Amino acid sequence: MTPRLTGSRVAVVSGKGGVGKTTVAAALALASSRSGKRTLLMEVEGRQGIAPVFGHHAIGYQEHRLAPNLLGVSVEPDDALVDYLQLFYGIRRIGRVLAGTKAIEFATNTAPGLRDILLIGKAKEAERRREEGAYTFDHIVIDAPPTGRLPRFLGAPRAIADLVSGGPIRQQAQGVLDMVHDPKRLQVVLVAQPEDMPVRETEEAAENLRKMEIALGPVVVNGIWPEAPDLGGDPASALGSAAARLGLGEEAIARLSAVAAAHARRVAHQREAVAGLRRGIDLPMATLPFLFTPQIARAELEELASILAGSEAF
Amino acid sequence: MPSRRQPPPRSLDDLLRRHVIVCTGSGGVGKTTTSAALALRAADAGQRAIVCTIDPARRLAQSLGLDELDNSPRQVPDSAFGGDPPRGELWAMMLDMKTTFDDMILDLTTPERARAIFENPFYKHVSSTLAGTQEYMAMEKLWELHEEGRWELIVIDTPPTRSALDFLDAPRRLTDFLEGRLLKLLLWPTIAAGRGYLRALSFGTQVMLKTVTRVTGSELFADVASFFAAFEGMYGSFKARAERVKELLVAPRTAFVVVATPHEAMLREARYFAERLAEEHAPLGAVIVNRAHSVPSAPGLEDPLATEARTSDPALAWALRTYASWRELSLREDSLVCSVLGDIGRAPLWRVPDFAEEVHDIPALRRVAEALAGS
Ligand SMILES: Nc1ncnc2c1ncn2[C@@H]1O[C@H](COP(=O)(O)OP(=O)(O)O)[C@@H](O)[C@H]1O
Ligand SMILES: Nc1ncnc2c1ncn2[C@@H]1O[C@H](COP(=O)(O)OP(=O)(O)O)[C@@H](O)[C@H]1O
Ligand SMILES: [Mg+2]
Ligand SMILES: [Mg+2]
Repeated sequence: MTPRLTGSRVAVVSGKGGVGKTTVAAALALASSRSGKRTLLMEVEGRQGIAPVFGHHAIGYQEHRLAPNLLGVSVEPDDALVDYLQLFYGIRRIGRVLAGTKAIEFATNTAPGLRDILLIGKAKEAERRREEGAYTFDHIVIDAPPTGRLPRFLGAPRAIADLVSGGPIRQQAQGVLDMVHDPKRLQVVLVAQPEDMPVRETEEAAENLRKMEIALGPVVVNGIWPEAPDLGGDPASALGSAAARLGLGEEAIARLSAVAAAHARRVAHQREAVAGLRRGIDLPMATLPFLFTPQIARAELEELASILAGSEAF
Repeated sequence: MPSRRQPPPRSLDDLLRRHVIVCTGSGGVGKTTTSAALALRAADAGQRAIVCTIDPARRLAQSLGLDELDNSPRQVPDSAFGGDPPRGELWAMMLDMKTTFDDMILDLTTPERARAIFENPFYKHVSSTLAGTQEYMAMEKLWELHEEGRWELIVIDTPPTRSALDFLDAPRRLTDFLEGRLLKLLLWPTIAAGRGYLRALSFGTQVMLKTVTRVTGSELFADVASFFAAFEGMYGSFKARAERVKELLVAPRTAFVVVATPHEAMLREARYFAERLAEEHAPLGAVIVNRAHSVPSAPGLEDPLATEARTSDPALAWALRTYASWRELSLREDSLVCSVLGDIGRAPLWRVPDFAEEVHDIPALRRVAEALAGS
């Protein structure tokens, strides 16, 4: 079956730092929710990256309505641990005693994988949650850690299962393991930029995830620059006479040519990178345009969501 | 401890007269690239300079002659310079965290004890993944390079950690951790194995202890306990070392460089980092906005889209539209940089353009350095 962006209950959106994971996760969640799916957008590194694109100040540990059919949540390991203790031990007091001490931070940083398992555990809880006999969410989109940390993040359940032989954490790990390795329940959506390095990192990440037997969804290539016409080797002479007819001076022509040349270089580089990605990776692709604004707000997000929803890979 | 403050550098070449430069910023913004460009520039100016990189892009590592991950300095071979070698010397190395940690332990203790530590499963975890360890090892390496005394300039790249705070706090955090006050408390049941001790602890600690042991399983705690037993007696030396490193970091001939890209999140991290540096009395040398799209205006290009409407030449029309988009991007980047960074710490702000292709060889690094010098 060809992978689709909505082909699993959970989509883990990852990529090299800064390629647009948060933007793509938000756009995907918005597209999903607009298609009628009850969607949860989950941020796991407490960066408050989701809130601003939806025009909110901040979102917290409580699920927060971002759009019709779309809830957002920002999960911190501390909250997840307290939550988890309450769930399994039914002791509210523990949470209160621990809150504000360094103990939780310490425990989650020291025990290998504990932090990650709590975070994915939270996703699993949402994925299994039911209301009136049906799943609460049809699609859960996670704004995940960058590819460098992804193997550790998704590998945490296995690491814990190897390290701890019994007890509730072990049980939790097994439950999460089942979800992580079931392609119907979870897939990773890699975000790439049309540049050499991000493309190579995407290929490596895909390779690693395949080895870990984790399903891969389509790759989203984010930030495609608009194509450039071929102006030959010397844009200044290609533009010169027409520009002079408009009364543009030497300085203006020089500026125009410099931008034209930089744009052409960028597009040539992009073409090569995208072709390399197609060769190197056997997955469907969706592309999103580069928007000439350094800030993505609600309007831009709606635009990107429409493009994703219209792509074959959706 | 307040340092003898130096005024911020007036130019790139002024900055390069410092002895230590630490490049910081979020992951992917160009820290490694900038570090290499700074060391190269110093070497070109006749200095003996070294760059200690962390996770360099593979092609950059190859161009610097770093195909072996052996944690030791190497002089970049003449062949890397395409017939134009520097007047001074450029050295490079790639930090290997685990080896650095191992070496440090060998240096601080007896071989038997070191072996016991290396074999401990918890050590493997600490030395490779524990938050803060990577930062601390970068600083340990910096100290070693400084002690060797062979280099006039040491440029040190930092790990792509989320929190800059981790990095500045690394010495303190790691010694706190190794002294293990909190940990010893946690391990009390394993070490003392007596209920009597437990009763002596506060209610909160008891609850915490029981919970953490229940949650993480007890084998892990046994490993942790023997790890700390093996470390007994080394805390003092660790602490002394960490304090010397910290002193070097706030010394007058040290400068921090904060790198960001013109994106809000990266700029916010940069600002936060600059503020932390000020709190720690660490000298901020420069803020670098990397991968900027600076497009100046020119007479006749004030309203490129209106001009576009007057031409029937498709190439010129395209160039005007493209110019309009880039110009808009440039203006928005500028206003974002201004609004987020303001005038942090009176440090100079330098821009490096987005070269649209990877910076992975010496000529490209020289272009980065040129841009820094010219801005
Ligand atoms: N398609 C796009 N066009 C223009 N800018 C984009 C695009 N996608 C992301 N950005 C911008 O790039 C920066 C990094 O994106 P973000 O989604 O935060 O990346 P990540 O989560 O991977 O760090 C942000 O400033 C964002 O607004
Ligand atoms: N000014 C620039 N123009 C184009 N590409 C750049 C520029 N600076 C850095 N890069 C590229 O960006 C990528 C990340 O840079 P790097 O220095 O490795 O970042 P960091 O060390 O902060 O993670 C590399 O592929 C590098 O070649
Ligand atoms: Mg993000
Ligand atoms: Mg780097």
